[in-house]
Amino acid sequence: MTGGRAIPDCPPRPRVQRWGAILWPSFFAAGICTIVFFALVDPLEWRDLTFPDWAISREWGYTLGFFAFWTATASSSLFTWLLLRPASRFNRGRDGA
Amino acid sequence: MSKTIPIALKDDEPVGLYQAERKVYPRDVHGRYDRLRRIAVVVLLGMYYVFPWLSWDGRQAVLFDLPARKFSVFGLTLWPQDFVFLALLLIMAGIALFFFTAVAGRLWCGYACPQTVWTEVFLWIERWTEGDRARRIKLDAGPWTREKVLRKGSKHLLWFVFALWTGFTFVGFFTPVRDLAARLPAFGWSGWETFWTLFYGFATWGNAGVLREQVCKYMCPYARFQGAMFDRDTLIIAYEPRRGEPRGPRKRGLADVIARGRGLLSAASAERWMAQAMHFESAAQRALDVRRTTGAYQQTEAAAPITASIDELGDCIDCTWCVQVCPVGIDIRNGLQYECIACGACIDACDQVMDKVGYPRGLIRYTSQNAIDEKPWRLLRPRVWVYGLLLLVIATAWVWGVTHRAPLTVEVLRDRNALYRTAVDGSVENGYGLKIVNKQHTPRRLRISLADGTPLRLRSSETVEVPAESVYSTAVTVAADAGVVHGRREFQFLVEDLDRPGPLRVRSAFFGPAP
Repeated sequence: MTGGRAIPDCPPRPRVQRWGAILWPSFFAAGICTIVFFALVDPLEWRDLTFPDWAISREWGYTLGFFAFWTATASSSLFTWLLLRPASRFNRGRDGA
Repeated sequence: MSKTIPIALKDDEPVGLYQAERKVYPRDVHGRYDRLRRIAVVVLLGMYYVFPWLSWDGRQAVLFDLPARKFSVFGLTLWPQDFVFLALLLIMAGIALFFFTAVAGRLWCGYACPQTVWTEVFLWIERWTEGDRARRIKLDAGPWTREKVLRKGSKHLLWFVFALWTGFTFVGFFTPVRDLAARLPAFGWSGWETFWTLFYGFATWGNAGVLREQVCKYMCPYARFQGAMFDRDTLIIAYEPRRGEPRGPRKRGLADVIARGRGLLSAASAERWMAQAMHFESAAQRALDVRRTTGAYQQTEAAAPITASIDELGDCIDCTWCVQVCPVGIDIRNGLQYECIACGACIDACDQVMDKVGYPRGLIRYTSQNAIDEKPWRLLRPRVWVYGLLLLVIATAWVWGVTHRAPLTVEVLRDRNALYRTAVDGSVENGYGLKIVNKQHTPRRLRISLADGTPLRLRSSETVEVPAESVYSTAVTVAADAGVVHGRREFQFLVEDLDRPGPLRVRSAFFGPAP
């Protein structure tokens, strides 16, 4: 390349780092959300308000709540990762590099 | 004006190729800071493994009973209503972290973080089964002999047992641990108990056995923002380049820089030597394959290494022990780096070496950037005062709050399904749910009534018995004669303890037909 400045571009991160960066912070955030939420809300009371016919124990309530939070926070992390991807990941060269 | 425009991006030289992490083999070291960490490990892990087995008033001393929604901590019972205390406790922990970081850097990382503490135990097991650094490297590089299988196998077996015990203890904080242990032989655990034992055990094994320093470098948010709490007066672990540079091996008998009169270099000249040392790595350094993680010193002038004369040599003998003992695999001589967890292993190692060669200790030591740069510095800065005072205020509020908690709380929830209903005799009725929390260790007899001065009345006079430390829910009906109450009317419930004076008043509202 002559004349222009080389565009700094970081090479793709290994898959495990990528998934780690999406799943780990979202796991952490979901854990905190779960603690705060269930400190204020009893899962049994919530069940009575929503699905009173379902036999959901408190433990199940905590679990469902946690995974619901994790789904939400992980989606947000995934979105952030998509937005942070450099253009070169989309505009591939002719040789596919 | 012509300019070639490339049609495809082509990187001749990729900027910073990603390189897979190399395994760090920390060398064993003994000294002041190592002793402190051993004490911290014994105290903290001792608390972790012993607390669930202690009893207090005939019950488990520390039990976070999630299914019953109450926490018991040494005779203190916390309810969901006391969540504010948990929140305050977390805020205090946060400010304490700020305070200690501002004063003395990453004390938390070096001595108290579960990651450090458990990694230390896993390292002890590793050293015990596989030997110290050099033997571990040799073992990893060598073929799978009988000895290697035995050593590696016993390490993993010990790790596995220790991790499972850790997982079991973790569950023991949430479900009575003696009961849990009693149910183990018959495989009488619930799915939750089994899952969490295995999951926590697996996490311990993965974090302390496999990931180790990578957790601190890539997973820990504190490692990334700790710099915000640092200033140039914060105590850090630092190498003194003005005394140590130029580093290099020497024959025995050369006195230290002060004794032989060379003295300390100027900061600029020390920095030049450091840049040179980074640029032209010594054979000892190359053998270590240490990671270069700082761009603080850039060699710009010399194209070839300059060799220091014997007279010029500083006190660093370039033995690289400080690098070999480092659990995160950095070279502290390159200055403060975000990877440094302030464990002090390099201080212990350097002190040992200085003792051996007869130089004064403290080439690597706890000091501040300002002290290294020979600038005035002080420990008590405004930020230390602010963090400290905040901590004191919140801690006082917390203690006061916990000791002055209401022993009885009553929540009134109006039945929202119907605004009001009309009875056969024409009177108007509202339904209420009362949630009574008795936080005391004794049962209470309570009478529920309405405060005077209201046309409303309870359908039936209620006397309830609320067992010790429990939540009692009851439904009551409040009525008004036909045509007396229109729209919204405020009133108060009275909850009286039959054995104690002083009723509790709870406000609520009654709804009648529109006027």
